[in-house]
Amino acid sequence: MSDVELDTGAVQLRASHLSRDFTTRVPGRFLRAKRVTHAVEDVSLDLVAGRVLAVVGESGSGKSVLARMLARIVTPTSGELELRGTPIAPKAKRDLAYAAMVQLVLQDPFASINPVHQIRHSLERPLLIHGAERARVGELARSVLERVSLDPSDRFLDRYPHELSGGQLQRVSIARALCVKPQVLLADEPISMLDVSVRLGILNLLKGLCDDENLAVLYITHDIASARYLADETIVMYAGQVVERSVGTALVDEPTHPYTQLLIASVPDPSDPTSIAPRAATAGVMDSSVVGCRFAPRCPHASARCLAESPPVFEIGPGHHSRCWLQEGNRVATPVLTTRRGKGGPTTT
Amino acid sequence: MSATIPREHEPTAVVDVAASAVATGVTRNEPVLEIEGFSVDYGVGASMVRAVDDVTLRLDRSRVLGIAGESGSGKSTLVYAMTRLLRAPGVISGGRALLHTTDDDGVVTPVNLVEATESQLRKVRWSHVSIVLQSALSALNPVLRIGREFDEVLKTHRKEMTRAQRRARAVELLRLVGLTEDRLDRYPHELSGGQRQRVMIAVALALDPELVIMDEPTTALDVVTQREIISELATLRARFGFAMIFITHDLSLLVELADEIAVMYAGSIVERAGARELYEAPRHPYTLGLLHSFPPLHGERRELTGIPGSPPDLADPPTGCRFAPRCTFVMARCLSERPTLRELGDEGRSVACWLFDPASESRVPVELSLAPSARQTVGEP
Repeated sequence: MSDVELDTGAVQLRASHLSRDFTTRVPGRFLRAKRVTHAVEDVSLDLVAGRVLAVVGESGSGKSVLARMLARIVTPTSGELELRGTPIAPKAKRDLAYAAMVQLVLQDPFASINPVHQIRHSLERPLLIHGAERARVGELARSVLERVSLDPSDRFLDRYPHELSGGQLQRVSIARALCVKPQVLLADEPISMLDVSVRLGILNLLKGLCDDENLAVLYITHDIASARYLADETIVMYAGQVVERSVGTALVDEPTHPYTQLLIASVPDPSDPTSIAPRAATAGVMDSSVVGCRFAPRCPHASARCLAESPPVFEIGPGHHSRCWLQEGNRVATPVLTTRRGKGGPTTT
Repeated sequence: MSATIPREHEPTAVVDVAASAVATGVTRNEPVLEIEGFSVDYGVGASMVRAVDDVTLRLDRSRVLGIAGESGSGKSTLVYAMTRLLRAPGVISGGRALLHTTDDDGVVTPVNLVEATESQLRKVRWSHVSIVLQSALSALNPVLRIGREFDEVLKTHRKEMTRAQRRARAVELLRLVGLTEDRLDRYPHELSGGQRQRVMIAVALALDPELVIMDEPTTALDVVTQREIISELATLRARFGFAMIFITHDLSLLVELADEIAVMYAGSIVERAGARELYEAPRHPYTLGLLHSFPPLHGERRELTGIPGSPPDLADPPTGCRFAPRCTFVMARCLSERPTLRELGDEGRSVACWLFDPASESRVPVELSLAPSARQTVGEP
């Protein structure tokens, strides 16, 4: 795992300026009062064969909506998807061919695998739907279980979900996604529901699939340490926006955005006995309607400018970008990935 | 209408946790809780599952005991049974749990919670021992405003208080956990996860108990909120000096927070030691594996292995040591005989592993025989 390694593999799935708004009714107000929440705003990313891209953020940061847009379960409000160079019509219905290429693994394996059927059913059904010969599905299901290290596979096929542990079920869930031979695996918090002692096993499995089978992996997590462990590139999201991204471990080793710094400082770190000292951090409301930087209400370095103007993304090193006014002087190149849409930018008139 | 939005949290003062433990720990060698030979079964007869097996623990006043373990290790069952909150089919099948309650005059009375009657329990609960549960959303009544939660506790246990006094006390408690007064008139669904958990902590402190039990209070929260709540707990503990049992699966969190840690696996305690000793020099192979299960934030990226296999099924536990099927140091004896928790020489710690049996011929592997570094003694007596 070298630290800075630029794209060598093929781009399997490219997302450009993906955004998703949700309209909600304002409670207690006139019935027609509506509020628009920008759940994901202007996110661009490449999922590259043989590489892991991690998306880190707290609950409500929009990371799961992003994964669902990439899986085309949620339709983007704007932005484009490109699968292996072929643009996807934005409003077209998700078809089997897309599902065969891009598969999603969900957070809670106890909820995502049908409890009334044997594991065999969960694995064979996607195979049949995707047109595998009925005579061969048993053999294919067995081979896919072996790929996720569930040995002996025959024994697992006839088990029911309640007979397996969380870690084993998550492996089944990954096996089910692998059944249709996808090129892109989207893993939405795959370890957060699992016991600590089996988490690394799942992470190593994802890493192995990425290295050995050249899968492009999106790893969504709120645990920045696990992102550092696994990812070739890391994105930090806050309130729907990408606030910092870097290739390699630069983002964790030299965080530049105050939110990334807060995330890292919050991770329990037994090697540093002083790390429990309370930090002045206010839990902010993630109101997407704020003008200026969305993190400003919680930011220890916020200035008047941060509250008034939304910061663009500054490139502060090779493959390292930060959406923070503090980085304005540090920039080594022209801003990239700035907000190109009219929305979300400075609204001073 | 006020034009400014009140800030939810005042920045909390920086507190040196180690120093605060000393400051409040004048009575630290008096126990507040002693659990002996405690066992809990689910069900009876052939389908019986022993969820907690012969647990012995002691917690001194103003100290923090961390209980670490995976799901199904019996850590939650232990505290539910101990506080007699466990419902059928859970049955306490042996042992005792002595809570040393101190009344207003400073007289200490031990109460065996296992044999206590309902009326005795009623007196002890909330005044002397309170519990904060993992899911604040299900612990708070969704159809009552937050103020009612405080009101009910105070009404039941402090009959002499007037309505206005109860309200004032509730406001005071909310301030302690960094929430504003207006939260009292909100419903639980109007608060964020972190705010709900803060309300739970405030209610738990309402009657100034000697022992607060925290059952995974931060597991459902994101890491930033978790940090804030842990810091606040440290501040509150320094101020009020209550003892705390903190249950979590996150061993790295406990190393920072607790004075002493008990690691549970498949219903029993496999290792008990001071927090830093446990972190710097684990003795049980399971503890070592757990410590190696957290990817580090610093240093070279290298492959970590975690612990192979899965936790055992308690309905059909392995004979011998329950960790043996996953253990890298397994010996023939581990598969047939079950090790018991025994003191490790003069180290002030216990471990349940045949590797440390004095009669055993086997050599202790180097990973498990590290000496705790000199650094750990900082802040320890």
